[in-house]
Amino acid sequence: SVKQHVVRKFLGLISSHNIPVYLIDPLILGLVDKDIERIRSSPDGPSPECKYFCAPRDFTTFALLDKTWKHEVGLFRTAEKMGFQWLKIINKDPRLDGMDDLSGIEIPLHYIFKQASHAIHLVVFYERSGNYLWHGPLRLKQHMDRKFVPFRKLHFGRYPGAYEKPELLLVSIDDLKVQIPKNPSSFLEEMSHSRFLECRYREARAFFQLYPDDASLDAVEFRKKAKSLLHLAALTLNNLGVKFWLSSGTCLGWYRQCNVIPHSKDVDLGIFIRDYKADIIPAFQKAGLPLKHKFGKVEDSLELSFQGEDDVKLDIFFFYEEDDHIWNGGTQAKSGKKFKYLFPKFTLCWTEFVELKVHVPCETRQYVEANYGPDWKVPVKTWDWKSSPSNVQYNGIWPVDEWDDVIQIY
Amino acid sequence: MDEWKPNPAIKPHKKRSWYLAWKYKLMNQRALRKLCQTGAVLFLLVTVIVNIKLILDTRKAAYEEEEESAQDYDDEMLNVEVPRHPVSNKKVLDVEVYSSRSKVYVAVDGTTVLEDEAREQGRGIHVIVLNQATGHVMAKRVFDTYSPHEDEAMVLFLNMVARGRILIFTIKDEGSFHLKDTAKNVLKSLGSQVAPFLSWRDMWTFVGKKGGEVYGEKHAKSPALSTWGDPVLLKTEVHLTSVEDAECHWPDTELNRRRKRFCSKVEGYGSVCSCKDPTPIEFNPDPLKDNKVFDVPVAVIAGNRPNYLYRMLRSLLSAQGVNPQMITVFIDGYYEEPMDVVELFGLSGIQHTPISIKNARVSQHYKASLTATFNLFPDAKFAVVLEEDLDISVDFFSFLSQSIHLLEEDESLYCISAWNDQGYEHTAEDPSLLYRVETMPGLGWVLRKSLYKDELEPKWPTPEKLWDWDMWMRMPEQRKGRECIIPDISRSYHFGIVGLNMNGYFHEAYFKKHKFNTVPNVQLKNVESLRKDAYETEIHRLLGEAEVLDHSKNPCEDSFVPDTEGRVYVMFIRMEQEADFTTWTQLAKCLHIWDLDVRGNHKGLWRLFRKKNHFLVVGVPASPYSSKKPSSVTPIYMEPPAKEEGAVA
Repeated sequence: SVKQHVVRKFLGLISSHNIPVYLIDPLILGLVDKDIERIRSSPDGPSPECKYFCAPRDFTTFALLDKTWKHEVGLFRTAEKMGFQWLKIINKDPRLDGMDDLSGIEIPLHYIFKQASHAIHLVVFYERSGNYLWHGPLRLKQHMDRKFVPFRKLHFGRYPGAYEKPELLLVSIDDLKVQIPKNPSSFLEEMSHSRFLECRYREARAFFQLYPDDASLDAVEFRKKAKSLLHLAALTLNNLGVKFWLSSGTCLGWYRQCNVIPHSKDVDLGIFIRDYKADIIPAFQKAGLPLKHKFGKVEDSLELSFQGEDDVKLDIFFFYEEDDHIWNGGTQAKSGKKFKYLFPKFTLCWTEFVELKVHVPCETRQYVEANYGPDWKVPVKTWDWKSSPSNVQYNGIWPVDEWDDVIQIY
Repeated sequence: MDEWKPNPAIKPHKKRSWYLAWKYKLMNQRALRKLCQTGAVLFLLVTVIVNIKLILDTRKAAYEEEEESAQDYDDEMLNVEVPRHPVSNKKVLDVEVYSSRSKVYVAVDGTTVLEDEAREQGRGIHVIVLNQATGHVMAKRVFDTYSPHEDEAMVLFLNMVARGRILIFTIKDEGSFHLKDTAKNVLKSLGSQVAPFLSWRDMWTFVGKKGGEVYGEKHAKSPALSTWGDPVLLKTEVHLTSVEDAECHWPDTELNRRRKRFCSKVEGYGSVCSCKDPTPIEFNPDPLKDNKVFDVPVAVIAGNRPNYLYRMLRSLLSAQGVNPQMITVFIDGYYEEPMDVVELFGLSGIQHTPISIKNARVSQHYKASLTATFNLFPDAKFAVVLEEDLDISVDFFSFLSQSIHLLEEDESLYCISAWNDQGYEHTAEDPSLLYRVETMPGLGWVLRKSLYKDELEPKWPTPEKLWDWDMWMRMPEQRKGRECIIPDISRSYHFGIVGLNMNGYFHEAYFKKHKFNTVPNVQLKNVESLRKDAYETEIHRLLGEAEVLDHSKNPCEDSFVPDTEGRVYVMFIRMEQEADFTTWTQLAKCLHIWDLDVRGNHKGLWRLFRKKNHFLVVGVPASPYSSKKPSSVTPIYMEPPAKEEGAVA
C-alpha cells in the first residue's frame, strides 16, 4: 500500500538522522489498542497482513520531542532526495511570550512530509515549565500553499495541546518498528482533553501598565506562599485523580494578569461534585493542610477550606451541573444563610500558571465575567463574597437541625 | 562601537548639499540646534509609538481572530518582511565623504551611513568597509590616530579586510599625530597619494578598493599649527561588481553556507572569511566523561560588541564538554552584527528590547535573560551565566562538572564561579584547588534555579533603580550569608577593555595580569572538603600546619615570604570587627591584587599564593581563626594613606 510505503520511507529518513519520533496517530493507535496485549507480548512478531498502516486515511501522525534533535538542515535535503515534499510551520515561542520585549525566536511547530497521495504530519512537542509537553497550533501564513494537504482533516493543530511526558514502547506493527505511547488508550483519552490556552500575556502587560504591580515584600512573600500552596494542592488532587480548575480570584489572577493577585489572600479551586471523593479531606490533612471549615454537604453547596502556611487559605468550591448552567454554593456561618453562584456552562482547558500545568474553564471570559461582572479588569481591594459577585443569588437558610453537619468550623 | 545601519524606511536625503548648507547655518546657533535635535527626537518618539501601537493593534486583532476561528488554520497575522537593505540593481554607487574639524559624514546613494559631530568624541580616522557587490556597510571603525598605538590597530584591521572590498576613510579633528610610517605605507599601498604626507590637523578623505582602483581622494592642508585644514567634501562614484566576484568559492557544505552568509555581511573578523584557508567555525572538542553539566543551559549575556562575542564564542565552543544546543546568546538591543556572529556559529540568539539606561539596562537584560533561560529549559536545575567579554578555559565544563553537585546539596552555597578576584599571575598557583568565599565574583558562574525563581526574580531591582545587578546580588539581603565556590586559578579571563564600567587603564591595572587556566582535564583536589563543615576542618588543618611569618618585617616586601616553594605560611593582620578592612585594603594594594572593595574573604581569612607558597591572612580579632595566633605575635596594622588619596569606592 502507498501509505505503508510512505511511512516506511519516512521512518527510514528519520532514523538515518537519528531523530526519535513516536506514533500518535489516533486512528492507528485506536486499532493498535485493540490488539495491544498481543503486540506487547511479541514485539518482533511478523504480522500476517498490513492491518494498521494500511487503513484508509490521508495522514499518519508522529510526534517529535524538540530537545531530542538538532534542527539540522540535512534532514530536509535528504527528504527531498527521497521524493518528499515538505512544509514547515513556525510560530513564536510561547515559552518567551510571557516576557517583555524578547524577540528573535520563532520555533518549528509542525512539519508535513508529503509523497504521492499520503502525508506524514510531524508534531513538535516542547517541554515547558510545569513538567509537561506542549504542541502549538497549526496556522498557515499568507504565502503558504493552502492545498498542500487537506489541513482541516489533521488530528493535531486545531488548538495547542498539553500532555504528560509519555512512556514509550518500541513495537513492531505491520513489519515496521515504531515507538508508541506505552498505553495507547490513556494517550487517546488524554488527547481528547488536551486543548491548551496560553495566558493572555499581552493583556496582562497592558493591565500592569494601568495598575503597576505590587512589588512590596509582603506581595512577594504572599505570591511565594500562594504558589507553593497551589503546587501542594495540585499534587494532592492529582494523586487522588480528582480533576480541578482555578476558580474565583485565582482564575481572575491568571486571566487578567498571568499571576497571583497579591491582595487576594487565598487560593481558590473548583471541582465538579461528580468528581468528589471522601479521601479529599484526609489527603489534604496528610499533606499538612488541616481542614479549616466545611460548609454544605455533598448533595448541596459543598465547600471546603484548608489552612495553608501563615494565613494563606485554600478554598475548594464544588460545582453542580444543571441543564443550562453550573453553580456552586456559599454559606454564611453565623446566620446559616445559603448563597448560590451561577455560571454559564463551561468545559476545561489546560494552561500554565506559576510553573504548573492546571485546568481553567476554556470559556474563561464568561466565567470571570459571571463572577466579577463586566468591570473585572479593574482591581478591587474590598470584596464581599455575599454581595459583590454579580452572579450571587440568595438561596434560603439551612434548617437549624442540620447546622452541626453543614456548618463545621475548626 | 556603536552600530548604525541605513534604514530603508527613511527617505534618502536627495538634496544633500542644500540640506547641508541649511543645516550648517543652523549649527552656529546652538540654541536653535538644540531645539532641532529635541524636535527630531520627539518626532522619532512619536513615530515609534504610533508604529508600536499599529503593530499591537494588528496583532491584537489577529489574536482575537485566532480565538474565534481557530479551526481555520489561517494565520491572520500580517507577515510583512522589511528588506534589510534597499534592493536595487544599480551598478554604480554615489559616495559622499566629508572631513572636517568637528564633523564627519559618509553617505552612500543618499543614505547617511556615518555621521559624527559629537564634541570631544570620534577624533581620528574613520573607516567604513562596503561590500563591493551590494554596497552595504560591512564594518565601521574609528581609530584615534592622534593617540599612540591606534595606528597599529588600524593596520591590523585593514589587513583583515578582504581584497576587493571598498574602503572609505575620513579624518575628524586630528588623525596624523601618531600615524606612523607603517600605517602610512599601508594607506599608500591602498592607492592613497596623500597619506604619506598627512600632517598635523590636515583634513582628508579617500575612497578605494582594497587591492584595486582608487575612486577618489581629497585633502586640505592645515595652514598653521593652531588651525585646521578647510573641510573637504569628496563626491565620487563606485562601480559595483557581481555577487559571484565578491564571494569566496568554498565547498558547498552546511557550515560554509553559514560562513558565506556571515562573510558577505560583515568585515573585520580575519581568517574566518579567508577564501584560501578559512579558520574553522566548528570545533568538536573532546567530550567529557561523565559530564554532569551537559544538560545545563548556558546563557551568554551580550551587548553590541560583536568582535568580543566572536572571540568569546570561539573559546566557549572549544571548551571540552560544551553542548552547543544548550547555549543561548541574549543580545541587549536589536543589533544585527552580534546576531550574525551567533548565526555564524549555528547557535540560537534572542534579542531583547533595551529597558531603562546604563546599569539598570544591564540589570534588566540580565533578568530577562535568566528568566528566558529557565523558561526555555524548564527541566534545568542550574544555569551557567557568561558574558561576551570572557575567554572560557578549556576545562571550564570539567571544573563545573566536578563541583556542581555541591551547589545542589549544600544549601550554604550561593554560586559556583569560574573567577577568583584575587587570582593574579603572582598570587594563584594551583589549578586543582578550590576555595569558599563570601563574595560573589560573577564573570562566569552557575546559578541555582531555586535561588533565582524563589528569591531573586520576584524582587529583582526594577528598571527605575539604577543598580548594578551584581552589586545587588552581593547585598546581605540577597546573599544571606551564603558563599560561592571559586577556583584558585580562574577558568575565565576578562578581556573586555571597553564596557560600561571599564576602560583601558582600569583593565590594565586590575584584569590584564589575571591568571587563566590553560591546562586541560584538571582533576580537582578534595572537592568534598568544600562543604560547609568539612571546609572548617580543612581550614583548621591548614592553619595548624602553617608556619607563622616574621611579623616584624614589612609584609609588602618580597622578603616577607621566604624563598621556598610549596609551604604554607600565615600572617595576622588587624581587623577590629567583621567590617574592618583597613589593613587588608592596604595589604591588597601593595600586593597588587584587587583592592577596590573586599573580595575573596572567608570568615576574616584570605587565601592566596606568594612565591609558590600558600599564603594565609587572618584578620585578628574579628576572624574566628584568630585563636590560631601565637600570643607572641602582634597583628600587623597598616595605615590608610592620607584622605585625598583614599581608596576608591
